[in-house]
Amino acid sequence: MNAGWCCLALAAALAAPAARAEEPAFDASRFEKKAFEIGGYAELKQEHLTLNRSGALYKLSTLGASGRDGLDRSTGTLQLGGKLRHGSGTFDFRTNSSWAHDALSTQADHRLYEGALSFRSSERTTLEAGKRALRWGKGYAFNPIAFVERAKDPNDPNLAREGFWLLDGDFISNPGGRVRTVAFTPVLVPVTGAINGDFGARGHLNPAAKLYLLVHDVDIDLAWLGQGSRAGRFGADFATNLAQNFEVHGEWARVGATPKPLVDASGRFTPSSQQSTDWLLGLRYLTEGDTTWIGEYFHNGSGFDAAQLRDFDTFAGTAFERFLQGGGSTALELAQALAQGAYGRPNPGRDYLYVRAQQKDAFGIVYFQPALTLMANLHDRSFQLTPELLYTGINNLELRARAYLLRGGSGTDFGEKQARRKLEVYARYYF
Amino acid sequence: MKLLATLALAFFAQGALALDGAQILQKVDRNLEPESYESYRQLVDIQPDGSRKEYVLWTIKKGRDKVIALFLAPPSDKGRATLRLGDNMWLYMPEVGRPIRITSLQSVTGSVFNNADILRIDYSAEYDVKGAEELEGALLLDLKARTGEVAYDRLKMWVDKSLLLPVTIEAYTASGMLVKTLRFSNVKDFGGGIKRPATLTTDSPLHKGYKSVMQWSGMKRANFPDEAFTLNALPRVQELRK
Repeated sequence: MNAGWCCLALAAALAAPAARAEEPAFDASRFEKKAFEIGGYAELKQEHLTLNRSGALYKLSTLGASGRDGLDRSTGTLQLGGKLRHGSGTFDFRTNSSWAHDALSTQADHRLYEGALSFRSSERTTLEAGKRALRWGKGYAFNPIAFVERAKDPNDPNLAREGFWLLDGDFISNPGGRVRTVAFTPVLVPVTGAINGDFGARGHLNPAAKLYLLVHDVDIDLAWLGQGSRAGRFGADFATNLAQNFEVHGEWARVGATPKPLVDASGRFTPSSQQSTDWLLGLRYLTEGDTTWIGEYFHNGSGFDAAQLRDFDTFAGTAFERFLQGGGSTALELAQALAQGAYGRPNPGRDYLYVRAQQKDAFGIVYFQPALTLMANLHDRSFQLTPELLYTGINNLELRARAYLLRGGSGTDFGEKQARRKLEVYARYYF
Repeated sequence: MKLLATLALAFFAQGALALDGAQILQKVDRNLEPESYESYRQLVDIQPDGSRKEYVLWTIKKGRDKVIALFLAPPSDKGRATLRLGDNMWLYMPEVGRPIRITSLQSVTGSVFNNADILRIDYSAEYDVKGAEELEGALLLDLKARTGEVAYDRLKMWVDKSLLLPVTIEAYTASGMLVKTLRFSNVKDFGGGIKRPATLTTDSPLHKGYKSVMQWSGMKRANFPDEAFTLNALPRVQELRK
């Protein structure tokens, strides 16, 4: 053992000067906090869509009139974020500008995603006013208790999204014992003619609140949104680690009566409303081989069952054919209006399974992460498979290639989308 | 009492007494860093072709098991923050906008350093000393994880006998496979009674040809409120920096 130690000590002694020789001394002074800072990323994305000419959502979009089989789209995006600090106040912002060009259109879009002024009297109390994207819930791809945010895109759950104008606070306490943290977040989301018009009906203040508890080793949130621009709702979530490499999470929400238009195959329209219960159970598991598995089962209580989706698709197809044959546009316009609402959501169905496997350092290449994602509608058995390759080994550069492969028969969720396949590659440079 | 403890530890350093591994480990913990502190760290990943990726983190720690690491660079990671409370770890990414639970074996940087290395808490909080052996100029501690939540099941820690600081640590899985070797070097006086290695070099048989280097700067004693170490405060942790 002595000989072993001597060898190790010698190796360490030899390695240490080598490391020092390679690495210049680290001086942290250039990372001091600044009164103003700005950063962001620029992204170039190229997409090729193989269009689904028999799909209902293809027929109801502008693509329907084009008769195209495919479409190439180029998109440039610039996202800027920054902070301005003065005393106990901070103003932070995030903007998103994009320019997209394809054979049918060229579009520019500029948005303020977030811009809020916050005052922090201590670590226990913070007050905020401005535009903020609050993210509630523990789900990866779906969030039933995301009561005050815009819908998440399950194809890109980590993408930054536009927030709402709101007032909110954070009051934190560490009582000790089994309840290690208590944090209360009250929120007001006013909807007027000038702001938050897409949150819901005008003329409401929309109070909401979230209570977070860390009880022993379990995260628990209780969330509530008062009746106002949207139906009142309440819910809860939890997350905990059952083992070092195994996390489980869940969400549950009860949503008050919400309009749910229904249309049958003949086009008979029934305006109705429905209370619903949404819930989700999920897990995250890391294998010894560094594969991360994420699995989620999502019950969308307000979603459409397979027969209802099929009825809508049949109606949309009939309305489109009638329009092409000069039979008038009334039915087509109704179908298009419905497709703008609940029927056209990314996940209009009732029960979904989401499974993602992501391999770290695949083939021994550090920073190379291939992944495969499955999203399936469990009622009609249609699904989308998304293989992707991600490489982040070059400083500040993210390279990603992704394919969306949709499968499903006529009248199914993924079988009636605009595209059958989408290939996308992008390069994102952070500065 | 303090005097007695000091005398006892001095005696260990001379190697003249039977070894109390647990006491040595606690002393190693305190020599490595104060129980509550702030510091800056640079992580450098060096790939087999010589290309490098650098990260800079601001770290705060309170007590035995509360740690936050905030990424200050590179721009692709700036603003990310990780929180550890005992066995619980979360990652906050500004673009995602909410903290998510992570595990100690994952790596928020994608490098040879995993989350347990980046958010390390006291060794004595995670490991029991199963054996202590006196070698020539060094002490060898055999450490066993207290629970299955700990990233490495077993550690072999070679400790400099005179400084009571780690020199080399080998990390093993429960099956006995060597997964990582940590080499401490460049002992530096940070002021305020903190004298410890400023450089940590890591390699792994699982990543042949790759090497990661961690360097410390500006380590000092600091005390932050408990409320700073919470999920709700994590998005604002950078405002704690002076």
